[in-house]
Amino acid sequence: MFVYEKKLQFPVKIAKPNPKLAKVIISQVGGPDGELGASMRYLNQRYSMPYPELKGLLTDIGTEELGHMEMVAAIIHQLTRKMSTEEILRSGLDTYFVDHTAGVYPTAASGFPWSAASMQVKGDVLADLNEDLAAEQKARVTYDNILRLSDDPDVNNVIRFLREREIVHYQRFGEGLRLAMEKMDQRNLYAVNPSFDR
Amino acid sequence: MEANRPDEGRYRLGNLPNPAPLAAAYVPMQDSTEPSYATNEALSRGTLFPGLDLPFMNIVNPDLDETPMTEMMAIDFVVDELELYLDTHAGDREAFAMYQTMLAMQKEARERYVSMCGPIQQKDQLGMDRYVWLNGPWPWEFSKNREG
Repeated sequence: MFVYEKKLQFPVKIAKPNPKLAKVIISQVGGPDGELGASMRYLNQRYSMPYPELKGLLTDIGTEELGHMEMVAAIIHQLTRKMSTEEILRSGLDTYFVDHTAGVYPTAASGFPWSAASMQVKGDVLADLNEDLAAEQKARVTYDNILRLSDDPDVNNVIRFLREREIVHYQRFGEGLRLAMEKMDQRNLYAVNPSFDR
Repeated sequence: MEANRPDEGRYRLGNLPNPAPLAAAYVPMQDSTEPSYATNEALSRGTLFPGLDLPFMNIVNPDLDETPMTEMMAIDFVVDELELYLDTHAGDREAFAMYQTMLAMQKEARERYVSMCGPIQQKDQLGMDRYVWLNGPWPWEFSKNREG
């Protein structure tokens, strides 16, 4: 069961609309390393996790990622308010606008819509946690790249917060992997898949 | 090696198994919740833990304006951060004691916020005289006057 909280995890208050910036930041809503994919990855991987620490970790990080999706969507919503048709054309957001107006649609910056093909649920504790570690690194790099492209302090404060969360999640997934491996066959970690072979 | 390390960097180090098996990725375990940032600084930095605070190009966020909303956000954030830590350190008594302290602060901060600014969850409307859930602004909306 999920319950909505009418607040963000970190404040989003963008004084200056900027459709050009929205055009790249949308990737962290619906791109291959975005927050929608992150939440779906973790919240769906948790069912096959054999150990309580990992059920807890994937539930809690997956839930936080839903909150991050809302924060990035809030950035897009605020960057695209009160746009004139001239601004839409000049910014290059016209190819997005024609399909979605000023709505928030989960897509990569390239225009490829969010796809479950950008994530996996392997049903194997080692494979899934290694994917999660990689996913946090890839999202961190996307935020690095947004910081290279943006000079709006209101946007960058939120992006820096989200980027730092990727690093903390990387640490926790690493610890979760370690706790899992300690419970497995120390002579051969690959002897069985504890998510399936009970 | 150990003796040559400056003390001020130690909080960035965790422990690894010795020896460690081949063909396995290892991240060091964080040893402790100490040192940790104050709640407001934790929120602006994006982590409670200086040891995990690794900013891009070493640029960090300025302090957030203190409002009833950011005060509550900061406490909620530290609670969330401690929960992730406890998921992988369930036996850490000191971390659990800190979590208890933060939960008590959270309860108080939320009650204060709700009485001043309105409900965070639907159930916060218990005892109110009318349905105020629909009052804006919503969290994603830009508002100059909005708390937060």
